[in-house]
Amino acid sequence: MHPVYSYEKTRAMFERAVNVIPSGLYGHQGPAEGCHIPPTAFPQFSSRAKGSYFWDLDGNRFIDYMCAYGPNVLGYGDPDVDEAAIKQMAIADCVTAPPSLIVDFAELMVDTVASADWAFFAKNGGDVTTAAVMTARAHTRRKKIVFFKGYYHGVAPWTQKIDYPGVLEEDVANSLYVPWNDLEALKETFEQNKGQIAAIISQPYMHGNFADNELPAEGFWAGVRKLCDETGALLIVDDVRAGFRLDIAGSDHFFGFEADLICFCKAIANGYNVSCLCGKNAFKNAVSSLSYTGSYWMSAVPFAAGIACVQKMKKLDLPKLLNEKGKKLTDGLVAQAEKHGHKLIVSGAPSLFYLRLADDDSLMLHQRWIAEMVKRGVFVTNHHNHFLNYSLSDEDIQETIEIAGEAFETL
Amino acid sequence: MDQTTLAYVNLYGVLGALPRLCELDPDAKRLAELKKPFKLGFRVKNGPAATLNFENGGCTMTDGTDVCDMRLSFSSPEKFNGMIAGTVKPFPWKGMHHVLFLLRRFTKLTDILTKYLKAGPKALEDEKFFAVSTELMFHVIAQSVAQIGNHDKIGAFSASNIVDGDIELSIGGGPSATLSVKDHHLTARFEAPEHPRAVMHFTSLKLARALFDGQVNAVACIGRGEIEMRGMISMIDNVNRILDRVAVYLS
Repeated sequence: MHPVYSYEKTRAMFERAVNVIPSGLYGHQGPAEGCHIPPTAFPQFSSRAKGSYFWDLDGNRFIDYMCAYGPNVLGYGDPDVDEAAIKQMAIADCVTAPPSLIVDFAELMVDTVASADWAFFAKNGGDVTTAAVMTARAHTRRKKIVFFKGYYHGVAPWTQKIDYPGVLEEDVANSLYVPWNDLEALKETFEQNKGQIAAIISQPYMHGNFADNELPAEGFWAGVRKLCDETGALLIVDDVRAGFRLDIAGSDHFFGFEADLICFCKAIANGYNVSCLCGKNAFKNAVSSLSYTGSYWMSAVPFAAGIACVQKMKKLDLPKLLNEKGKKLTDGLVAQAEKHGHKLIVSGAPSLFYLRLADDDSLMLHQRWIAEMVKRGVFVTNHHNHFLNYSLSDEDIQETIEIAGEAFETL
Repeated sequence: MDQTTLAYVNLYGVLGALPRLCELDPDAKRLAELKKPFKLGFRVKNGPAATLNFENGGCTMTDGTDVCDMRLSFSSPEKFNGMIAGTVKPFPWKGMHHVLFLLRRFTKLTDILTKYLKAGPKALEDEKFFAVSTELMFHVIAQSVAQIGNHDKIGAFSASNIVDGDIELSIGGGPSATLSVKDHHLTARFEAPEHPRAVMHFTSLKLARALFDGQVNAVACIGRGEIEMRGMISMIDNVNRILDRVAVYLS
């Protein structure tokens, strides 16, 4: 049996945090948006991280299935990526004239991503989804953007909704919402907005929260691609979340179609801060025309890390490995649930698995199970897809399955 | 701010708190005790219609004004909202001879309600007053969430993202409410649901009051465990978006 953790230092630190930081901790890594239910079951701060683990302020070790919400794809402190970054740090990082590494990295991205003719770098996923939408509007001279309900494309006002604090009606006046996998509804939306739609933006499959993740229906992406070709709207794939965990050549490649623009971040540099928009030649002039940049967008260290990370992911054929690990883990969890009289639903790709206990429409049983897992050293989350990394070992998977069983026993 | 939605908030949220006031406050209870039952209706053109029923020593609210002894009709939501704000004098369209009820009892009842809903810091030092005031505010807010979710354009957008089921809103040592959602329509009632699909629980009256008064940050309170959330969090998330608009309407 694994010991149940306590969080005295974490709680004390959170009390300090609320005095000087809005919400104590804001955003998806905070206890409210992160659905830490109850917050007293979760660590809120880390003290260090290595491989598949992080440790909190109380010295509790967690097998981490959120991987910093995606960036940790090879393992925290991966030696190859860190070596490249440290070497570059000794040379230069943020310099007036950008490093030539930007060219090396762009060439690597074009060689790696099936639909890419060029690469444009920034920092966060939201930087490149915004760049993609601006590019689509610049190219088409149209205003409207189609989203699939349940989407997440960042936090810029255009990605938010009319009822979000700080968002104006005007910010979302050109947003159109269509149910995922509903090609007929999509066609109808195009019909109703003829000549006005600049782009469709979508994740490669629906990994919305609070619901099972949903893969594209047969023929869905082909139909979307055809509709875009017929209407002149651009097809933007937001691969920030799934990128490099489904297919090293891009998730559009995985599902057998080609995006016009595709956005990467998270796994691209194993935690070093860089994001990338790739696209087809037809849209190179439009992206060039944007007035869009940032103070740190051409820093050298993240480029060095990104190059090392992408090269290593390619060499390892990482998506295949991660999906094998995910299958082994989720099969074990499902079996453990069954042993304890529960039915666990696993959805999405195994490398990005989403969990839900069946017959629990309030999700409260699921939340209790998750809390008991976390308190025993497995960092899983309630209503978000999970992320796997290369350093996760068979022993880690076995220990996770054991802890899952112990957690089920408490319910 | 949409005047029609405000009329729903004023009628069901603000005046809708009178029945509970008559249970909680002895003076209000005395005013509600009548020798004969009395029904006071409010009808707003292109807006809500409801009746306050004074009977059996208490007060209830029902939808519509078909059966009432006195009816106050308003030609627009703006006029009705003006009455609540004190800038428009109501004129009875039915039951003129009951005007004394309006002047002597109803006005006094609303004065008592105002005392609790617009309480100053000094008055809130009294523990009992504090508890009644906070419960009535909770009542107004919970009912207003339902009205704004059903009638306000942005509130309705939030409601359109809420799945069916009962949401429990509750205060430790204080009242509970249920927001029932069916096909994105919200209904408030003032008892805990038997099978909540989502729960938002404030651990104390003091905390709830501080939140209502905007003195503490709700998200920080969630992190500290002072507001407990569980269940279908997307329901609470969208209710919170509507709550954000309650502040606009009740300001």
